[in-house]
Parts: sequence; C-alpha cells; structure tokens
Amino acid sequence: MTTASRQATIRFPYKRSLGPVMGAFMTALTEQRFLGIRSGDRVICPPREWDPDTAADLSADDLVEVGPAGTVESWTWVAAPGAAHPLDRPFAFALIRLDGADTTLLHAVDAGAIDVMATGMRVAPRWKAERTGHITDVDAFVPGETPEGGGGAGAEEPVTMMEYDAAITYTLPITPNEARDAEWVAQGRFLGLQCPVCGRTYLGSRGYCPVDAVELGAEHEVELPQRGTITNFTIVTPVQYPGQTETDPFPRVHVLLDEHDVVLGYQNLIEVPVEEVRVGLRVQAMWDTTGDAAELEGWIPTGEADVEDPDLVNRIC
Amino acid sequence: MAARTDDDIAIIGWSQSPMVRATNKTETQMLLEVITGAVEHTGITRAELDFTCAGSCDYVAGQAFSFVQNIDAIGAWPPKRDSHVEMDGAWALYEAWVRLLMGDVDVALATGSGRSSTADPGTIYPMEMDPYYLAPLGVDAMTFAGLQAQALVERGAVTERQMAEIAARTRRDAKDNPFAQVSGDFDVDVLLAEDYVRSPLRRHDLPPITDGASAVVIARGDKARELCERPVWITGFAHYAEIHYPGLRDLTKAESVTLAGKAAGLDEAPIQVAELQTAFTHEEPLVASALGLGPDVEINPSGGPLAGNPIMSTGLVRIIEAAARIRDGGTHRALAHSTSGPCLQQNLVCVLEGDER
Repeated sequence: MTTASRQATIRFPYKRSLGPVMGAFMTALTEQRFLGIRSGDRVICPPREWDPDTAADLSADDLVEVGPAGTVESWTWVAAPGAAHPLDRPFAFALIRLDGADTTLLHAVDAGAIDVMATGMRVAPRWKAERTGHITDVDAFVPGETPEGGGGAGAEEPVTMMEYDAAITYTLPITPNEARDAEWVAQGRFLGLQCPVCGRTYLGSRGYCPVDAVELGAEHEVELPQRGTITNFTIVTPVQYPGQTETDPFPRVHVLLDEHDVVLGYQNLIEVPVEEVRVGLRVQAMWDTTGDAAELEGWIPTGEADVEDPDLVNRIC
Repeated sequence: MAARTDDDIAIIGWSQSPMVRATNKTETQMLLEVITGAVEHTGITRAELDFTCAGSCDYVAGQAFSFVQNIDAIGAWPPKRDSHVEMDGAWALYEAWVRLLMGDVDVALATGSGRSSTADPGTIYPMEMDPYYLAPLGVDAMTFAGLQAQALVERGAVTERQMAEIAARTRRDAKDNPFAQVSGDFDVDVLLAEDYVRSPLRRHDLPPITDGASAVVIARGDKARELCERPVWITGFAHYAEIHYPGLRDLTKAESVTLAGKAAGLDEAPIQVAELQTAFTHEEPLVASALGLGPDVEINPSGGPLAGNPIMSTGLVRIIEAAARIRDGGTHRALAHSTSGPCLQQNLVCVLEGDER
C-alpha cells in the first residue's frame, strides 16, 4: 500500500562547552597529539573528568600524553558507510588502545579491505590538515606505526567549544484526516470534526477526541465558520536563531470561532499594528487564492464592535 | 512461596500491536489501539487507571515533546496522574510499579511506542550517544553491536555459526507469534553465506526495523485479584547501568545484567522461560550467561527482538510475552529483560510468577 507522506529534516546545530579535561584533549588534537588522564594505576583515553569506577574527580593536572600509535582491541567492518560516518568508502570502526593508555578510543580505521583488519594490529592517526579541536581532527587511523597527514600549527588559544551539526530526515505518513483537512484548506474552508461522545469539535486534522479517546473520521465532519474573536495574543520580537526569517515584531493570536467552540491558536493577524492588537477584536479569515490551492494568509478585522467579555482571555484552547 | 499481600503488584492485562516494517498510523493512533486493547483485556475502562506512564523517544518520533500529544490516547479528562520516560516502555512499567508501591493508588498503565520507519536509524542513534567522542563519528547501534560481537567471537564466547543458529531458531519460534515481523524456516549454511553488514554480524544477526506499540496494566494485591482471575505477580524488578563509553568496559561481560538479575531475586527459585531483549544474536549467550540461565530455560519462545524490534516498545513486549507464558501456558516463573544504551549499557530484569495451581 502506498501512503502519501511528507519529508522534514530537523537540524541540530549544537555548540558545546568542553570543560577543562575534554578541552585540553581537543586542544591537543589540533597539535597532533593525544592526551589521556591518569587515574590511580591506569591512564584513561579519551580522558574524562571523573573516574568511571569511583567517580573521583580527575584534574587537568593529571593529563599525560599517549599514542600516537596504538593497538586495535576490537573492530567491525562497515561495508556500506552511511551519511553520518567519517569515511565514504568501506572502513572499520575500531576500539584502539593508544600506547601508554589502559582503555580504548573508538575511531575509524581506513584499512582499504576487511582482510587487512585484525585484533592486535598496529594503527596510527591520519591527521586532517585543518584541525579545529574536534574528534574528527583525526580523519581516520591507518595501519602501521607512522602518523600521516597533518601539518600546520595547533590552535593559538585553548579550545573551549565544539560544534556538532547533525541532521535527521523524517518521512512521515500523512493520515487520512490530515489529507482531508488539506483538501478543505485548499478550497479555502475549515474542516472540523465533532466527537460523537461529548460533542466537542476539533480541527479536522486531529485524529481523536482527547477527552474520550475516541477516533474521529470522515463521518464526524462539520464545516467551521470563517469568523471569530481574538481571545488572547502575544507580540513576538524575533531572535535571529537559525531558520528565523522574521525581522520585525509580529502578533500571534488565538481566535475563537463563531458558533463552534473551537480555538485556532498562534494565528497570523494582518493589517493591524502591533500596538492595536487586543482581546475581543472581531476577525475573519483571509485567504490567498491566487494559486491552485488556497492558503490561509491570516486574519483581518471585520470592523464589528469588539466583544466585551472578561473571561474571553482564558480561552486558549 | 510467600503469601501475596496488598504490597504485591501484578500484571493483569496487556496488548501489543502487530510488529510491522512501516505503519501509516500515527504513534498516537498505535497507542490508542493498544491502550484500548489492554483495558479491554483487563475488563476495565480508561477511567479506572489511576496512573499512566509512557516510554517513547523524541528523536525517533521526530518531534520535541512528542509524548504530549500521545496523551490523547489516554483519555486524560478529568486529569490523570501521568508520567513519561525517554526509555523503553519496560522502564515506564518500572516507574508505574514504583508508583503503586507508594500504596495510595491501585491501578496503573505503562506503554511503549515508536515508529522507527520514519527515518534512518543510523542517523538517530548517534544523537543519543556521548556528544563529544561518539556522536560526531556517527557510531550507530549496528557498529556498537559489531564491536561487541567481535570481542565475544575472539574470546571464544560465541561463534558465527552459533549466532546464525540463534537467528534460525528465533525466526522458527516466531512462526507461532501472530505479531512477529520476521519468521520462517532458514538454513544456517545459507544464512552464513551472506555478506557482513558489520562484521562479524550479517543481516540475520540484526533486528528488523519495526514500528509498534504495547501497553500493560498492573494493579496492587486485592485489586489485582478482584480484576483478574489469574494475575501475573511481579516478584522482582530492578535495573542497573554501567559506564556509557564502550572503550571503558570489558565488552565480553555484562555486569549490569548480573546485578539486575540478583536484585530482582532471580536466584530465589528456578525459572522456566526468559524473554530477553537481545536484538543482536551474539547478545543472547552473553545475557543468558550473565543471568546464569541453564540449558533448561527456554529463551525467547516468542522469537524475541530478532523477530520484531519496535524501538521503545521491545522491552515491554518481552514482559508481555513472559506474562502471557504464565497466564496462558504452563509456565510458573519467568523473567523478562530489557536493555538500553550501547553494548548493553543499561539492563532491567523483571521476574514474574503465577499463583500456585
């Protein structure tokens, strides 16, 4: 069965503070060096701020240089690398005990072929030419004792932050209710669904009455009116986070529709200066019908007198 | 056996969705169906649930606070005491069990739900790993499993043939499981002729990608007896976690499994059935040995996670399958296991018993 679907990519552009121990480790990577941290009789690499067994505080004073070569303690061959992997050709992920360390570092080994891989094999880092203080400053490890790549100087200042920019692309099936709701909107109409148990009405894309946990479908359709009253609002002052396209303060209003007890939240209000936005303002839907499918542009005043009702402000759902 | 008291808590009803590669239902809709199924199985209504706890994952759902809309499936008006864990539903059941131990409410519901079909799991899993040393490398669940499997193979704890035999056995057992996604008769030599996905793991060593949900109803002592003719008593429930970064652990051991089993009273009496959340073949002998299971214990008669792996629900399904063996079969005492994190980092054990008959 084929189902209509929509794609959405969510980006996670994280910036993370590194703290004294990981910051020192990342700074050393820019200098083509590895640091471990001494805890009792052992050296832990990659270093941590606490001993994993005792939770004892470890100090940046206990950092010691390890590697650069090391020994593979376990490995797995990645025949078909994914988009998030460090290499785009077949490679191994491996647990590597760098010389002088007692624990292993997980990283990629660019061995060329699975037959080259073996537990106990010796590997050395291949450094990137541009290093920012990031675990991927090591492009991959390579078989042998001799580091490769690199060049240039280390970071001028200690590295304190790292970036991790991940993305996940989702393909989400569109439910029958969402599909019918979109058809109505394309005609410039609002679809409602009325619960057969309690009689409450919801927007047509919803799947259920949340009060009665009853599934809603085509048999529960009602047409919702195009007019209503603003019950509550906020003026948003845009902050320029990634993806924000607005630059000037703009309103978002809640509209209680006439006749049906339905509130449309976070709606766009047009043709009203932000200082004139108020509870009780009568509004009607404004559609852009220039394209094949109508699109809701927002709400405009009807010119009717305001509704005076002190309880109106509480209607946000 | 100790007499049951009002502080004893029992599983009294459950439901699980079919395990499928991709559903066109929303997560809320899957939950609506299994919650309806579980309360009907129990013979109660949603209004009789005093506490609800859901297990799901925002990264899997693709939406922050995705569990908020899942409350639509509960019928939370008048308002209910509700909670959520960003963990498998088995941990949601653990919280519900702890909540009932407080003694002031009698009936609780736990759910687990996830749609893994909506994105590449290889892009989701790294998001949940150590953000400094692991996530930027895109280390996925299959890779962690491959590293652990290789360590076990080299230690002589398991062979690739034994792993293929586990896959063939669980897929054969899954033929009797109406919810299973992967089942059938497979020749071990044919399986072993396949290429590696993450050496030494081949396709059959990995779980399928699955959408699914499950729900379990539990109740305290007298209430459990009042509502259910054959309650399945939770006699022990515990979970332990070890260090996250796999380079700091001996991957040929699963110490937190052993500790959780001991804390759940596994040693107190023999068990007949173990439902283990061993989503990769090599994990089965490791977990079984960490729990000290002998050859007389039947492991994953449902087919286990290799027959269907609805992430965030897989562990709760293990508890359902173990409970079903007690209520509907000849089993007296069984255990269910759930796990979370890379290379079996965190482990939960739930020991279940029927009444003497």
